[in-house]
Amino acid sequence: MSHGFELGPAKGPAVPDNPVVARLSKALDVFNHGLLMLSMGALILTALVLTYSVVSRYFFKLPTDWQDEASVFMLVGVTFFCCAYVQSLRGHIGIEALASILPPRVNAARMMFVDVMSLLFCLFFSWKSWTLFHEAFVEGQTTSSTFAPPLWIPYGMMAFGMSLLALQIAMQVLVRVTNKSDKRSAP
Amino acid sequence: MSELTLGLMYGVATLVVMFSGMPIAFALGVVAVSFMYFFMPASSLDTVTQNVYEEMASITLLSIPLFILKGAAIGKSPAGKDLYSAIHTWLHKVPGGLGIANVFACALFAAMAGSSPATCSAIGSAGIPEMRRRGYSPGFAAGIIAAGGTLGILLPPSITMILYAVAAEQSLGRLFLAGIGPGMLLVGLFSGYAVYRARKEYKLAHAAFLNNGTASAYLEVEQFTLAQKVEMLPRVLPFIVLLLGVMVALYGGYATPSETAGLGAMLALVLIAIVYGIWKPRDLAPILSSTIKESSMLLLIIGMSLLYSYVMSYLHISQSAAQWVVAMELSKWVLLTVILLMVVVFGFFLPPVSIILMTAPIILPPLKAAGFDLIWFGVVMTIVMEMGLIHPPVGLNIFVIKNIAPDIPLKDVIVGVMPFVGLMFVAVILLCVFPEIATGLPAMLMGAK
Repeated sequence: MSHGFELGPAKGPAVPDNPVVARLSKALDVFNHGLLMLSMGALILTALVLTYSVVSRYFFKLPTDWQDEASVFMLVGVTFFCCAYVQSLRGHIGIEALASILPPRVNAARMMFVDVMSLLFCLFFSWKSWTLFHEAFVEGQTTSSTFAPPLWIPYGMMAFGMSLLALQIAMQVLVRVTNKSDKRSAP
Repeated sequence: MSELTLGLMYGVATLVVMFSGMPIAFALGVVAVSFMYFFMPASSLDTVTQNVYEEMASITLLSIPLFILKGAAIGKSPAGKDLYSAIHTWLHKVPGGLGIANVFACALFAAMAGSSPATCSAIGSAGIPEMRRRGYSPGFAAGIIAAGGTLGILLPPSITMILYAVAAEQSLGRLFLAGIGPGMLLVGLFSGYAVYRARKEYKLAHAAFLNNGTASAYLEVEQFTLAQKVEMLPRVLPFIVLLLGVMVALYGGYATPSETAGLGAMLALVLIAIVYGIWKPRDLAPILSSTIKESSMLLLIIGMSLLYSYVMSYLHISQSAAQWVVAMELSKWVLLTVILLMVVVFGFFLPPVSIILMTAPIILPPLKAAGFDLIWFGVVMTIVMEMGLIHPPVGLNIFVIKNIAPDIPLKDVIVGVMPFVGLMFVAVILLCVFPEIATGLPAMLMGAK
């Protein structure tokens, strides 16, 4: 848990050789950046909401019943909206103990295997998230609190975020496949 | 298929997938979903996402990004350097005072930022050059900062403790309070060692001067006027007020832990705007983006770890493993030793978040059955995980030190931190003999459990 401290500069997104893939990758990066901006706003708004609830309760004797769920929804949105951005920087940590031991060709195969397996998992998770979103929307499901906001909101953000994550990993697989310069070290 | 076979398969599959290099979050999800497909009813696959959401949608867990925001705001401001300079000017006359100043600065900064590497970086970048300028050996200077940084996951509000409280179903407020006594114990032990070592190095420098006239910075006398000392306070006091304000809000009954996280983040942003003029969007963007990067990665791991634990529980793997451990009828201290050794080994490969969430269902029932207080164990486990931050082969803080003081050889850094690993071990022993060091403060302020 580093709280903003990074040992080295973050790896930027992969630079694809193929011009079509490069354009697609750039578009995805721009979209991810837009969601990052939105999430930054949501994070500050969440801090404000929780501060407001304390101030409102103690200074104005006006307790609120919506701040926890509003905060949860916003933070769920921040988490899932930005997981593709984090993946574009290879920021989801894993155990890289084998990377320095294996021969380059075997390591390249390992990295491809890792990306494909991650992609399959994220596709499965996205599919199930959209199903959950659809059910919640059609059945009008809400949380069990008195505030009772609709559950399709967080489910939708989860489904959207995981789909974007799957798309980001698919892009990274595509870059790995199409890059001619150095397939072994392509991020 | 027996639960033992299933458990072994689950463990082996986890190791294989994790060591393939797959991100921890996806690796845990892949293993959990695969076992759901093969060994659980088909309908269970339909509830995967609902399980993950329901486990994640806890306001306590989701306070983590806000605590990270508070830490990042403090960590990316010059508050660390100011804090260190202020304590140094006030403690410079105490023997070994420079070392103590570094330990105190680390403890205070760690309590504000809640992060070990951020503390090492913020205090170390000012503290290590100053200690070396004053004649401290490079390994000693590096050791003080690396060890002082570890206090970040023990002193409240510690994210490691938030996760433990959720996994062990313990009171977060009580757990935070339980970390304060052992945190102060470690500060005392580290400071005591700093005095002893500084005096030893001073004597060597003095003897060298008497024998062959070799001058050392140790022998120079540093003076600060009262005006210089007072001048440092205005930049530091607001952050001390933030630290105390957060604690008062939490324990004075004014705010829940999640509200405290929001309030703390907001206060930290306001303070860095007022004290350091960090308020423009381009100044805040690195703070917010690094917070989001860490939070998204961490919360995805948490969500998948909880899914992983759910599958273990559904397949009775965790219950059987716990019963198996209980049936071994180990003495309670042997049981504790084995479990802590396991935590140390896991710490070589996994971050604390995964260790806690993956092992809690297996290790906590036997510990409870053996009569251990789970709040006390949470503190002990946290100290053991702190050791992993400064102990090879992973030792994140060692690499942070290498980053901020690249001319200190890695060997010197490792030799320098080893006495502090020993002191942490002493702290664990003291906690076993005197558990009240951890449990006393929560019992006093919140009543007996």
